[in-house]
Amino acid sequence: MLDILDDMDRPGQTGYLQLNDDGAVLSSSGDLENDERTAAIIMGLINLTSQIDSKAFPPEEGFKKLSLVYDDHCYIVCLSNRKIHIVKKTLPTDIPTNIA
Amino acid sequence: MEKKLETVMEELITRPGVIGCIFADHQGLCLGVKGKASTESAGIIHAMAEEAARLEPKSKPPVILLENDNRSCILTTTGTLTGAIFKSLN
Repeated sequence: MLDILDDMDRPGQTGYLQLNDDGAVLSSSGDLENDERTAAIIMGLINLTSQIDSKAFPPEEGFKKLSLVYDDHCYIVCLSNRKIHIVKKTLPTDIPTNIA
Repeated sequence: MEKKLETVMEELITRPGVIGCIFADHQGLCLGVKGKASTESAGIIHAMAEEAARLEPKSKPPVILLENDNRSCILTTTGTLTGAIFKSLN
């Protein structure tokens, strides 16, 4: 695990996936190495976000960042340069869980 | 139960930045909606929560956070209930 973390650029990062806009894996590392299952689920989620409440979120605005937060780790997804970047990282244990 | 949910939604909508909220049951049917949100999105929020739960089936369902420059949406599942809170960041 430590040698994986050594290769990572961001603090706490344990995995990385880069997808193209069709959902194909372009590069990956760490926990998410060649993880096509995670890629397919994240693509499914991204496709659903476009249909979310049009009253609360005008469809033309879209979203910039998608986070999936678990108790001790999270996945952060963002779109840049027509590529989807997914980072899996561990969370510090002392942050408040009530983010609402 | 409806009355309790109604009270929760009333309280939620008074929180700073919250513009709307919606709750769906295990079938994606709308249980309640308040503020700037439409009943039609109950199915979508439920589908998103289900899709996200597939990521790590052994863990409890994650909190899903969607953000752009102006707004954010927090989706969370408790038992069979899925809730979405829409917030304005301005």
